[in-house]
Amino acid sequence: MSRENEKLFIDIGSTYFKLSTSEHLEQHFRNFNKDILDDLTHKCGNIIKRFDKNDVHICSSANGGLSALIIGISQSFSLKYAANIAFNSGINIIDTVLYQNIEEYTPPSDLIDVVIVVGGINSHDNIFSASLYQYLASLNYSNIVFVGSEKEVPAIKDNIENVVILPNIIDDRLHIVEKYLKEFLTNLYQQDIEGKEDIKHLYDITANQIFSTPYIVNKALPFIDARFSVVNPFILLDIGGATTDIHYSKDLVDDNIVTENEYDRLVFKKLGVYKSRQSLIFAAKENEFVYELLMHLKVTENIFDEESEKATKILMQLAIFLVLCKMSHYKKAYINLKLLAINSIVLTGGITKVLNIDEIENIISFFYKKILTSDHSPATILDSNYDIWTLGAKEKELCQ
Amino acid sequence: MKVITGVVGNDIHVVANRLIDLSLQARGYEVFNLGVNTYLEEFFDAAVETGAEVLMISSLNGEAEGWAREVKLLKAKYKQLDELIMMIGGNLVVGSGNTEDIVSRYKNYGFDLVCHQVDLNTGLDSLEAFINDGKIKERCQ
Repeated sequence: MSRENEKLFIDIGSTYFKLSTSEHLEQHFRNFNKDILDDLTHKCGNIIKRFDKNDVHICSSANGGLSALIIGISQSFSLKYAANIAFNSGINIIDTVLYQNIEEYTPPSDLIDVVIVVGGINSHDNIFSASLYQYLASLNYSNIVFVGSEKEVPAIKDNIENVVILPNIIDDRLHIVEKYLKEFLTNLYQQDIEGKEDIKHLYDITANQIFSTPYIVNKALPFIDARFSVVNPFILLDIGGATTDIHYSKDLVDDNIVTENEYDRLVFKKLGVYKSRQSLIFAAKENEFVYELLMHLKVTENIFDEESEKATKILMQLAIFLVLCKMSHYKKAYINLKLLAINSIVLTGGITKVLNIDEIENIISFFYKKILTSDHSPATILDSNYDIWTLGAKEKELCQ
Repeated sequence: MKVITGVVGNDIHVVANRLIDLSLQARGYEVFNLGVNTYLEEFFDAAVETGAEVLMISSLNGEAEGWAREVKLLKAKYKQLDELIMMIGGNLVVGSGNTEDIVSRYKNYGFDLVCHQVDLNTGLDSLEAFINDGKIKERCQ
């Protein structure tokens, strides 16, 4: 048995899984021909056996995350607030719809895990009409939640089957109210994990709730300076096999969102170097500066067709460049960060196993010079031992 | 009646903004104060979210003009704001200028009421008159 109070933390990623005890940390490439639990117990059975189920804590991003479609009535409030809450709950946004133009949107054909409808402060009424219900009828979704004006609730209930009604996420001063929607989405993620065969078997080895990895990482950020020489404001890039997560200090955005969170999260769903390799290459080819970057790295675009260690390195470097581009004013996105104000860039995830600090700084410096025409040089920190998710998992465990 | 107010653009004159907020409340308006450094799009979005009838923009450092030029174009993108009463007040130009020219220019930008260097209460009186009569009874100056 494990020593008293000793915990085992496990992170199941799309490509690797990692185990951390107080003594050491190990990671293994996943065998995709096996169930996750079988693979885990085959490779690390001796460690897992040492721990009681109550002392094992697992986080996972391997279920792919949830997809959401948000329908709101303005970009600056309802859509932005709902997107912010969804991102911070570990959800991958697939689309947003501005209600006034709803008839112009083509409904996505994929199954959507959750549709979020939002709009109006509680004293505002007559916001939604038949066009909303017609659009919803054309969608294929599993859950739907309404978090808008309470005056709209009777009509919403009458017209939308199985809709979950939660308190408005916009208060009467136009401020964000996160609590209820965040709790709902976090629970939905939990249900999704429990529903997925591959993940739910993991409850055989833990008696604790399995959380999403980005949620755990976000929990670690206020305490990150205990492990690293990080100077605020900073961004944390988690470039993995399937997705890229960005956690950023709120000081880096000019924002009308007032919350207690010091850090927010953003995810680029199809930006990764293993499962999302093809979409990463596609995004790279669409970027007008990529060929200069390849020249800078002394390779040609033929590297995209290679399956070598060098090709993986180049893809990782491209991923860093593309992520920074997407967050800069060069590309209009959900948010644009004040990249010239960043003091530190922290990198975690699979990228830390592929690139060294010089290779990363080379790309960051290229980005600043080329895109922002600046010599700004934020300190680069590599979380090579996955200290950040261990820290987050411990903080979460202490809070329970 | 609901009023959206705030200071447009890169302008941090928070005291005037607060005075406008308090004065509007004292006159019985329901005020949604977006504060300083507010983008034009946020004003319109706030009107959509609240169902406000009046949008009152203030500016003290003359920056308003750069933003005001975008008003018509941006407002046209919104489908529910045709009835919104648009008002702007404060120091609306850099340096000095002829008030009549300034008022006329801002009305061309899409404002119903323009109060350049006008006392706050006089400006709010003109808003009330506009609301009551459905048109401007008297010019701010």
